[in-house]
Amino acid sequence: MEKNLMVQKVRNGVLGVILNGILIIFSLTCIFPLVWMFYSSFKEKRAFNADIMGLPSEPTLVNYIRILTNSDYHLAESMWNSVRTTALSVFFIVLFGFIVGYILARVRFRGNRLLYMMFLMGMLIPIHSLLVPIYVVFNNTGMSNKWFTLLLPYVSFGLPLSIFLVEGYVKSIPIALEEAAAIDGSSFSRTLWTIILPMCKPILVTVAIIQVFGNWNEFSFALVLIKDVALQTVPLALTQFKGQFASDYPKQMAAMLITMSPIIVLYFAFSKEIIKGMVAGAVKG
Amino acid sequence: MLKTIKPKGHVIFLYLLAPVAIFVFTVFIPLLTAFRYSFYEWKGGPQKTFIGLDNYLNLIEDSVFWQSFGHNIYLVIACIIGQIGIAFVLVLMINSKLVKFKTMHRTFGFFPSTISAVCIGLIWNMIYHYQYGIINWFLKLIGREDLVKVWLNESSLVMLLVSIPLIWQYIGYYMVIIISAISSIDTEIFESAEIDGANGIQRAIYIVLPLIKNTLLVCLTLCIAGNMKAFDNIYVMTHGGPGTDSMVMAMYGYQISFSQSNMGYGSCISIAIFVLSLLVIGGSQGILKFLTKEKEA
Amino acid sequence: MKKKLISVLLSTAMLATALTGCGDSASTSSSSGGAAKDDSAVSASGYKGELEIMHYSTSEESQGNGGSDGFRTVLANWDAANPDITLTQNVLANAEYKTQIATLAAADDLPDVFLLQGMNTIEWAKQGLVYDLTADIESSPYYADYNTAYFTPFTTEGKIYGYPCLTGGTCTVVIYDKAMWKEAGYDTFPSTWAEVEKAAEYFNGKGITTVAFGNGGKWQANSDFMSTLGNRYTGPEWFSSLIAKSGASFEDPEFVAALAETQRLFTQTDIFNADYNAVTNEDAREYYIAGTAAAFIGGNWDESYIAATLKESDEAKWKNIGFAVLPQPADATKAPDSQNIGLGYAVAINPKLADDPAKLQAAIDLAEYITGPAFSNFVASNYALGGLTKVADVDLSKFDQITQDFYNWSYVDTSTCEIYDSYINSAVWDVFNTDLQSMMNGDKTPAEVAANTQAAYVANY
Repeated sequence: MEKNLMVQKVRNGVLGVILNGILIIFSLTCIFPLVWMFYSSFKEKRAFNADIMGLPSEPTLVNYIRILTNSDYHLAESMWNSVRTTALSVFFIVLFGFIVGYILARVRFRGNRLLYMMFLMGMLIPIHSLLVPIYVVFNNTGMSNKWFTLLLPYVSFGLPLSIFLVEGYVKSIPIALEEAAAIDGSSFSRTLWTIILPMCKPILVTVAIIQVFGNWNEFSFALVLIKDVALQTVPLALTQFKGQFASDYPKQMAAMLITMSPIIVLYFAFSKEIIKGMVAGAVKG
Repeated sequence: MLKTIKPKGHVIFLYLLAPVAIFVFTVFIPLLTAFRYSFYEWKGGPQKTFIGLDNYLNLIEDSVFWQSFGHNIYLVIACIIGQIGIAFVLVLMINSKLVKFKTMHRTFGFFPSTISAVCIGLIWNMIYHYQYGIINWFLKLIGREDLVKVWLNESSLVMLLVSIPLIWQYIGYYMVIIISAISSIDTEIFESAEIDGANGIQRAIYIVLPLIKNTLLVCLTLCIAGNMKAFDNIYVMTHGGPGTDSMVMAMYGYQISFSQSNMGYGSCISIAIFVLSLLVIGGSQGILKFLTKEKEA
Repeated sequence: MKKKLISVLLSTAMLATALTGCGDSASTSSSSGGAAKDDSAVSASGYKGELEIMHYSTSEESQGNGGSDGFRTVLANWDAANPDITLTQNVLANAEYKTQIATLAAADDLPDVFLLQGMNTIEWAKQGLVYDLTADIESSPYYADYNTAYFTPFTTEGKIYGYPCLTGGTCTVVIYDKAMWKEAGYDTFPSTWAEVEKAAEYFNGKGITTVAFGNGGKWQANSDFMSTLGNRYTGPEWFSSLIAKSGASFEDPEFVAALAETQRLFTQTDIFNADYNAVTNEDAREYYIAGTAAAFIGGNWDESYIAATLKESDEAKWKNIGFAVLPQPADATKAPDSQNIGLGYAVAINPKLADDPAKLQAAIDLAEYITGPAFSNFVASNYALGGLTKVADVDLSKFDQITQDFYNWSYVDTSTCEIYDSYINSAVWDVFNTDLQSMMNGDKTPAEVAANTQAAYVANY
């Protein structure tokens, strides 16, 4: 018996080393691009091109200075546009995704599967080749080039993912709670907001995380639907740092880091809470 | 036992109105517009000429398009195994009692999917680079100079080489989805299974897998949908080259629409991508149903 | 946590909604803050109101790029000289510019003034997307100074649709290190490929690439190689005939011979870096800068980068920069000293402006000014580059030796030929570029490339 326990311990030890090792290597490769972008942004273009992977031999702040003093770049304005667009679209994606996902999972009505299919189709659309029709539709209805223009595609193309995740999640929750609520005379809306919403928190946090980054970085719609410099989001404003025949990568990285910093900092600062939110939904059946 | 909830019809209608309206306006009307354009010869100006099914007839004979379709299928298969499979295994590993720094792994894993394709492409181009690349450096180090290659210029390898970064980049994406799905499983189930002496692998297959089946199906759909319209990474790394050896459908459609300003044919390609994706997803679900039935029987 | 998160979301959303008024305020007009007033930029039309222009000279682009810098400068001058006109500039990097302009053209919603790419001229003219400027160009005060050859890519059926803009630079120049070639026994860069092959034996023995080239973007082998090499086999008449659709074909034996020679040079000799099809021109020129390649083939944009970089980092190597035309193949008979040069974009005007003659006049005035002597003088005196108008007696003496050499090489000492992809259309070149890349890997034969390109030409042009 004692010997068995020893064997067990050794086996767990070896297994632990292997598991930890694999995961640590994986995590390191995941964080590497960010680290690489960070130290590369302290290189001059010339030094970067000569040695793309190496650490900067003469670190310089010149990229950051050039960006922050460039009058064409309108950093603050584009940042504000991105914050507003991202916050609002993620809010609506989470809200609508929750409502629609729950209804599709639990309410039986004619057209339920039809609606499900319709949203599914939304995920299959290759947006790059839909840019022109979208531009035409938006232009003809006077919806292009407004402060709220980008919310529409971001919410619409974010919804399918959100709906499916919520739908799948709700289906894995036992229905007993809702039964009990119904017996207690709770209305549909009351059940939805006071009982279901808290239970769906993990998946909603996950949806929000995925969508925040997705919308913050979105480029194609912003390019086609926004003409006013004053309405440009961050990725569009970043193209000011691209040339036709020469790309200044370290400067682009510095610009990317500046503009990604708000969400990266938020993500790291709240990562504990976010992860807790993601895993704290265990429901007793 | 109640399986569904039966609220009043108008309540449901009101709840669904706004999201469905926005979705139809932004997604379906343009899609129908593209569908209409696909019957026209349209070189990117105000003039369009109705040509019936000509674009579709061309498409059937367009070998580049079908080659690209094959590449998309390759990506779908590689990524289902690579992204969802590895993500599932990694999540189970993270959940193991033996693993430390759980929060760190969960936080970091998601990062690659947030970084723009340009940067990811640059990094991987450096890994594959002929003169400074890590792979060739390693091959020289172990004395296998004969294996040194211009990696991204190898017609037969290029699809494999572009799918590796794609897989790596989105593992974290599926990790967060699976993590949240597993969190809906009652921890008591785990504990009782552990008491029963089920080992890690048994627990994974017989307990976790069935319980998060719905989420995994969503992941599968996401993965197929995402890879049927893959674009950015491959564009940055190879531009679909050498020749068309790593061309994918969305890049081809974009090239036709924008580089060649053949918007009519480009619209036809988008519709084809859409329909083919639908078929592949339908097919995959059919296969799954068939397989699960087989098991039950 | 839930309450915290949701309240954060809500408050952000509310804050955003409350402040949305800000984002809705009118577009910012370009501020030309303190730009020097240029006397020749006079407001001619008396038009008051808005005028929008879309272009791709970003501030990034203008650093070290004389054409962009000049374009931005004269545009700012014009804006300052026309206080009654609110000039709105929509500036995107080149790749994004192309996508957006294609979308706008498709939706028939082009801006007032924009840059027209040579190869779009025929289709856009046919579709009525560009204003016919023939009469205005002929009555331009600068007409006598125009280098009329530059108008050809923007001319179709005798009508001209744009003022060629930015600077004319070569797309195919061999940049070589004089010292390295001297060591190999060559006083100047060889004039035939046979000699280059012989030199390659020497350089390969020392572990140095003879000529660096990058075709990772697929367009480089067309613009920076075939366009000039083809001319050596076919002569200019062939390409003129191809443009005019008067009989020439991509399958003509001369052109196929040029393709065969290209394939031979890349697949059967050891002249080029092994990764020529995987790296871009930007990577390949670093091989030259680092000294691992003895020469490099690229365009004027590569020359300005190499010269600027070496001047700063390695003055000795900078002094050794030499320029040469593409060597002549053994079986080619035409134009051995030719290189392809031209202006790829022109300032074009939306025909919808014709409804408002004063606005149209303002737009024409703008187009005339930003492509006129103000621009050419600026780029000639600051960068030793040429634009649409000829500048008499460019004073080269204040420029360094390399800049002078390149000016003379580009505009004086060589003969010129056309840049293929300034003409015909992208549907043809897209097929050609893709096939050419496969051919340079040995995966397609020259005859196949020619046949596919010809098929695309017949179908789309």
